[in-house]
Amino acid sequence: MDGVKRFVVLLLLAVVACTNERPLPTVSTSEDLKKPQEGGTVVRRLQGDIATLNPVMAQSVNDRQVDYYLHTPMVHFDADLSAIPGLAEKWEISSDGRLYTSDGSNVTAGDVLFTLKKIIDPQTEAPQIAGAFDQLDLRTTRVVDPHTIVVGFKDGISPQLAHFNDLLVIPEHVYARGDFKIDFTSRVVGCGPYRLVRRVAGKEILLERRPEYWGPRPNLQRVLFKVIADDITAWNAMKRGEIDETIISTDTWLAEGRRPELQKFIDFRRFYTLNYNYIAWNNRDPVLGDKRLRRALAMCIDLKSIIENVYHGTARAMNGPFTPDQWAYNPDVPVIEYNPQEALRTLRSLGWLDTNKDGLLDKGGKPLKLEMLITAGSIASNPFAQLFQAELKKIGIELDVVPLDFATLIQRVLAGNYQCAYLSWNLDPDPDPFALFDSSQFPPRGQNFVFYSNPEADRLLEEGRREFDQTKRKKTYQQLHALLADDQPYTWTLQVSSKWAINKRIRDVKESKGWGLFQWFPGELGWWIPIDQRTHDVPLRRR
Amino acid sequence: MTSYVVRRLLYAVLTFIGITIAVFALVHAVPGDPITFYIGAHGAHNLSQPTLEAIRHEYHLDEPLVTQYLYWLRGVLRLDFGTSVVDHRYVTTRILEKLPNSVELNLIAFLVAAAIGVPIGLWSATRSGRPIERASAVLFFLLYSLPSFWVALLLMELFSVKLGLLPTFGMTSDEYLDLSAGQKLIDHARHLVLPVITLSYAQIAIFARFSKSALTEVIRQDYITTARAKGVAPRGVLWRHAFRNALIPLITLLGLTIPTLLSVGVITEQIFQWDGIGRLYFVSILTRDYPTVLGLTVVTAVVTLFASLLADILYAMADPRVRFEETAP
Repeated sequence: MDGVKRFVVLLLLAVVACTNERPLPTVSTSEDLKKPQEGGTVVRRLQGDIATLNPVMAQSVNDRQVDYYLHTPMVHFDADLSAIPGLAEKWEISSDGRLYTSDGSNVTAGDVLFTLKKIIDPQTEAPQIAGAFDQLDLRTTRVVDPHTIVVGFKDGISPQLAHFNDLLVIPEHVYARGDFKIDFTSRVVGCGPYRLVRRVAGKEILLERRPEYWGPRPNLQRVLFKVIADDITAWNAMKRGEIDETIISTDTWLAEGRRPELQKFIDFRRFYTLNYNYIAWNNRDPVLGDKRLRRALAMCIDLKSIIENVYHGTARAMNGPFTPDQWAYNPDVPVIEYNPQEALRTLRSLGWLDTNKDGLLDKGGKPLKLEMLITAGSIASNPFAQLFQAELKKIGIELDVVPLDFATLIQRVLAGNYQCAYLSWNLDPDPDPFALFDSSQFPPRGQNFVFYSNPEADRLLEEGRREFDQTKRKKTYQQLHALLADDQPYTWTLQVSSKWAINKRIRDVKESKGWGLFQWFPGELGWWIPIDQRTHDVPLRRR
Repeated sequence: MTSYVVRRLLYAVLTFIGITIAVFALVHAVPGDPITFYIGAHGAHNLSQPTLEAIRHEYHLDEPLVTQYLYWLRGVLRLDFGTSVVDHRYVTTRILEKLPNSVELNLIAFLVAAAIGVPIGLWSATRSGRPIERASAVLFFLLYSLPSFWVALLLMELFSVKLGLLPTFGMTSDEYLDLSAGQKLIDHARHLVLPVITLSYAQIAIFARFSKSALTEVIRQDYITTARAKGVAPRGVLWRHAFRNALIPLITLLGLTIPTLLSVGVITEQIFQWDGIGRLYFVSILTRDYPTVLGLTVVTAVVTLFASLLADILYAMADPRVRFEETAP
């Protein structure tokens, strides 16, 4: 028995003896450190390991976070999400919107053509980015000279320009050799401001500034990505100064965001990004096909109380397919007011009455029962579903909440095998919602899985994507916004703000209008660290 | 002895085939397939249909389930689990990259649990029924019922964030590559402490209770009474006669513990960012990466079968009666 005790004690001692205390970083406020300085290492968090360093094969947001340093996209977004020159110095769009002529300086036009071909090749198996270049027409796409390319499309639509932000050009002489899908998961040749120093799978990715970069030089010498899948672990690492930025949950924001000892070195940020939550109503459902009924159900959602009590004011009410940060947003569209009594009156006028006095509304002998699918384990869905359920019960509607894992849920939704579902969208920078609401876009072709069909909406959707003049597009989309808000194919509910913790030693961390901290220009490429706060500049050794 | 081992091996092979069919059917019975993973992952624009078709075709998702199973089984027999739907690398390579990390963590956790749990169990058997033994039983049941993700976060909060004694996450520090061999060992050991505690605290309770009941059982046997009657000192009875026989049932625990460790490992690896097969499993299930999920299942099934096979053989070696009595697993 004594042996056991001794073993335990020794283990603990060994731990204490080799502790190296790491002091929390301090923040200086001296005046001479206000200007951007070159050098330093930022430690960023990746929410999961990357799948590949091949930008054409990129799948997750993690892949794209790393790619943005290694490749300069053809087109950058500025802080307002307008397209500005990236790798392409300038471009012209033909009057029918089908041809994009681009002039670059560093990479050859042949490389651009090679990349485009790889993107649309089904064998590349990159459905996301291939979808963005679905309409590419190789017959009219041609290299004019080493620095000019004409990119042709079968269809001329205005959202296409924004998709050039996904086009990260790779050099043909490197990527044409070997197995395209697996040979470039851990090595990369890009035209971006940083190059890869090393990738340790599952642990970290280290990048270093390229001295010969052709564009504006970023300030930071190195970028170290650490893979931390768990949010609480990442937050603990943040508090210890081991990473410089991480997204945090609303709970962490509320519980720790006001602690003075943390505020000393952590900048707590909150902003809205292009996403929203909504209830998808299956418009083909015999009961939910009626928009008056959908509107009545929408009146039973007490958004104000949810925003106040569940999100403590860190979310805002939505009323249509565009967020207030988008130029397409129509400020005159009202949010449907919480009014259960009015909802009950509407339902009665539609013939839903409690004839058998069982507390549930019924019509033709059938009680009003609905089934709502939600994502299991989702922090957003659960409280919402419970509150909505309670509200509906008050006026005699039974809502059955079914939690499913995401893949199962989306399978049922795409098959039209559901009544309603609580979901969310992350939107593209271009506001075009064609794939979601046009009657030609029922699954499997598109993502109109609410099976919404309205000729007037179809006309506006078509008009909006054919028009290249943003002022005119704006008018069309504002009309569309009002129409969709009235038809309620979805009931839009909330836009929950993104919450971030950023170490104060990182300077000039700015957010764009809807795209958050990253992936716009200058975005993360504009960050810098004062010379006296380079706490993470460990000596480098290559493997 | 040889025929016994051969017979057990045959059973293991049959069990293995059964497992592959069951797991294959289960994985495919869950709604959603690798394609659903892409939807909405980037933005609200459409996916390329020809590309989706190409993916379905490559992974035989457009063929009947039985055909899919035969394709897969043919690969398994050649030790080829196919390529991952996520990064297109060979599943075998992906697993072999992570397997050593999990084996290391689980093996250490197992040894720690056994080294602490068994002596405690034997100690409490000799004090069976006394208040201190009752109290320790309650304590162990309490330990056993604490959820591991919660314990893991508490440990991290205390030892890492509050006290700063141990690293928060990962398997090595940033400066690992620049350390000397000895420093590397210490650095890695420091990263092991919290995950090992998380994995082993519940196992300690199991080992303690199991060995306690085993010894209690043995003490009641007639031959112990005989030993006592012929005048062997109480200490001698315990150590020479009872103890060795009480260890035999413990071998069974070896086979039982491995699956538990692997499943708790999923959570532990996720929280401490330990780059093992538990995390790979977790991510692969979410993304419906069929080839990786199936490959991992085969590997864990083989490990579990091997552990229980080893337990059976050790059992036979320790207790000669087993060989003759055993007819079915």
